[in-house]
Amino acid sequence: MTNSIDELENTDCIFVIGSNTTSSHPIIATRIFRAKQKGAKIIVADPRKIQLGMLADVEVQQNLGTDVALLNGIMHVIMDRGWHKQEFIDAHTEGFDAVKEVLKNYPPDKVSEITGVSADDIVKIAEYYATSEASSIVYCMGITQHTTGVDNVKSLANLAMMTGQIGRENTGVNPLRGQNNVQGACDMGGLPGVYTGYQAVTVPEVQKKFEAAWGASLSNKVGLTIPEMMSGVMSGSVKALYILGENPMVSDPDTHHVEKALKAAELVIVQDIFRTPTAELAHVVLPGVSFAEKDGTFSNTERRVLKVRQAVAPMGDARHDWEIIQDISTRFGYAMHYDSPEAIMKEISSVTPSYGGITYARLEGDGLQWPCPNAEHSGTKFLHKGGAFTRGKGMFFPIEYKAPAEVVDEEYPLWLTTGRVFAHYHTGTMTRRAEALNCEIPEAILEVNPADAGKLGIRTGDWVYLTTRRGKIAVKAQLTDWIKESIVFMPFHFVEANANVLTNTALDPICKIPELKVCAVKLEKVQ
Amino acid sequence: MSENIKTKVAELLSSGQIKGFLGLRSNEGHIGPYLFTNEAELDSLVVGDWKNRGDSRYPLNKCLINIACKYPEDTFGVLVRGCDERGLKALYTWNQLNPNKVVAVGIACPQELADACECLKPYPDECVDDEKAKACEQKAVSSIDALAIADRFALWIREFTKCVKCYGCRDVCPMCFCKECSVGSDDLIHTGQLPPEMPIFHLTRAVHMIGRCIDCGLCNEACPADIPLRTLYKKVADIIDKEFQYRPGYTDAKSPLNVL
Repeated sequence: MTNSIDELENTDCIFVIGSNTTSSHPIIATRIFRAKQKGAKIIVADPRKIQLGMLADVEVQQNLGTDVALLNGIMHVIMDRGWHKQEFIDAHTEGFDAVKEVLKNYPPDKVSEITGVSADDIVKIAEYYATSEASSIVYCMGITQHTTGVDNVKSLANLAMMTGQIGRENTGVNPLRGQNNVQGACDMGGLPGVYTGYQAVTVPEVQKKFEAAWGASLSNKVGLTIPEMMSGVMSGSVKALYILGENPMVSDPDTHHVEKALKAAELVIVQDIFRTPTAELAHVVLPGVSFAEKDGTFSNTERRVLKVRQAVAPMGDARHDWEIIQDISTRFGYAMHYDSPEAIMKEISSVTPSYGGITYARLEGDGLQWPCPNAEHSGTKFLHKGGAFTRGKGMFFPIEYKAPAEVVDEEYPLWLTTGRVFAHYHTGTMTRRAEALNCEIPEAILEVNPADAGKLGIRTGDWVYLTTRRGKIAVKAQLTDWIKESIVFMPFHFVEANANVLTNTALDPICKIPELKVCAVKLEKVQ
Repeated sequence: MSENIKTKVAELLSSGQIKGFLGLRSNEGHIGPYLFTNEAELDSLVVGDWKNRGDSRYPLNKCLINIACKYPEDTFGVLVRGCDERGLKALYTWNQLNPNKVVAVGIACPQELADACECLKPYPDECVDDEKAKACEQKAVSSIDALAIADRFALWIREFTKCVKCYGCRDVCPMCFCKECSVGSDDLIHTGQLPPEMPIFHLTRAVHMIGRCIDCGLCNEACPADIPLRTLYKKVADIIDKEFQYRPGYTDAKSPLNVL
């Protein structure tokens, strides 16, 4: 998030797109409720009706995968009415003229045809967002999990920059991170192309710095993303997979393909706290520890590094994850000898500019938000203050709308989108083992619009088959008008009715995120 | 404040009147419930942010039920404010705790907290010190009562719309001791929905607060959606008081609805 979570309470307008916030980030939803209470305008754009929409000032249901068109339409209106902030654009950005050209192609009437959102609503969103004193954007996987994921995010950045709704308190662009520490995992270089703090492996000075710090020679080549690893196994270029706290047999698209890859690998190691469907296919399982069994830090969605303290001893044969990694590295010939998570944090702050001022002593209490470059720095509440962007000037990208990789046809006439439900988390490794949560939602349910269900004689509680080009599953149907006609929705938490057997592996060309949010599907009643 | 409590608890422990004292202690900067079993530990006893609602208030009575179940022969002390003491009395009438096995050590709340809670009795019968805040007017209830019925209904529906079904209101409630809970039963209220069925989810809980809710306000403080649950349950308590002249925690009598 460019903002802090608390700032959302004091915003005049919040534009929520592709985030079912009450289900997936309920504590952030609280801030949106409070903003509403204080009179802020709430805009909700999501292909499904969502709870937050019930309190929204504008609620629209755009067609799946049409976010770029919708955002361009909103920006077209902003240009047209002169609601953009030319001063901000001139002083702090570059490339706006090219965007202006592209926006000409997106008048509200045309956008309305693509997105299914009325021209009036497009104008209203443009007005509320652009003309409020402080507006903030909240987005999540509904924006990113598309073949146009990067385009979608860039479009949101365009919108924020052209209206000057970034770089001031309570204005910004806020991707909501799911896991308590997914931000931390990325900060630590858990991505193919970067070291800690997003320092690129391709930059020679960065490479030299880490070579000196670690006393080893390092590669300057960008590594593989998860989908590339899976296809690498199939083509023979990848021999072994070491999977930590991840369950691709449930979370990754096209499960049949993932299964083939895991079975084809010469060695699969899984480190987790439970025996997951992925661990079932492993040659070696290493028991790690849960949050309650370890010391360390989590970095949350607002870039806040927080201490976590061990409450109970590791269960059974489980060991601290850092100790397992340290031992394996040592046995491979690169000796590591940290004596505690704190020792590791000392190294992190010595090689990571944005963590430079972070020490365990300073993390007592409320923690620190990066960037925190030195011991005197009190951390950063919001990013890009005064329009100072990381690269200097904010870069505009002209973006044209592209249809999803797979579209409906005669054989697969419905759209399928996937997501989460409030009672479960991701692949259910933890939440489906919690009795209270499992009682709340014990099984997968397919949401079907009554009009589509009626044509096939499907009623709530009926079993149905869903088939795509990748696979076929059986699931129980529930009729609801919260989903639009010709779209069906199902959560992906449930391995026995695994939505990802169906989903598409088509990737965003830049960041390689799979298009989990859109594919074409056939629906039949189980006879 | 905490010095007087420590003196009192030290007496109780050293004389053998109690096996342990359930209070709050500070640990690595966090305040939480703790069972003190010897005098030496009392250094870490605290009353938390005594003057405000917030992170340092816990349903100690609820913890005490678990401890009492495990050690039914022993007597335990427990830190109580006015609301907690009402909770003890109500729990005695519901046979969830044995009054002969509990020794309450009372503290009175300051006026600012009493005002924030709109508390009718912000002090227990006996306190370790004498200063007592005054009972407060029930402004939150009367302001909603003043609305036209349609507006009142709209207000509550708007509030219930925000519910993320975390069950925090139930889980923190010192009076929620049922083994099976109606609001979590799919036969009565559909599970798996967000927001939960309106208004039946919240009204079922409100009705179940009859003869129970002692107006501690922990539900209100736990609610991540800021739903003014306390105001709702205060109103329920007012109705029962008017119709049956009964307010839980102010008497040793059983709830009039116990016989139904």
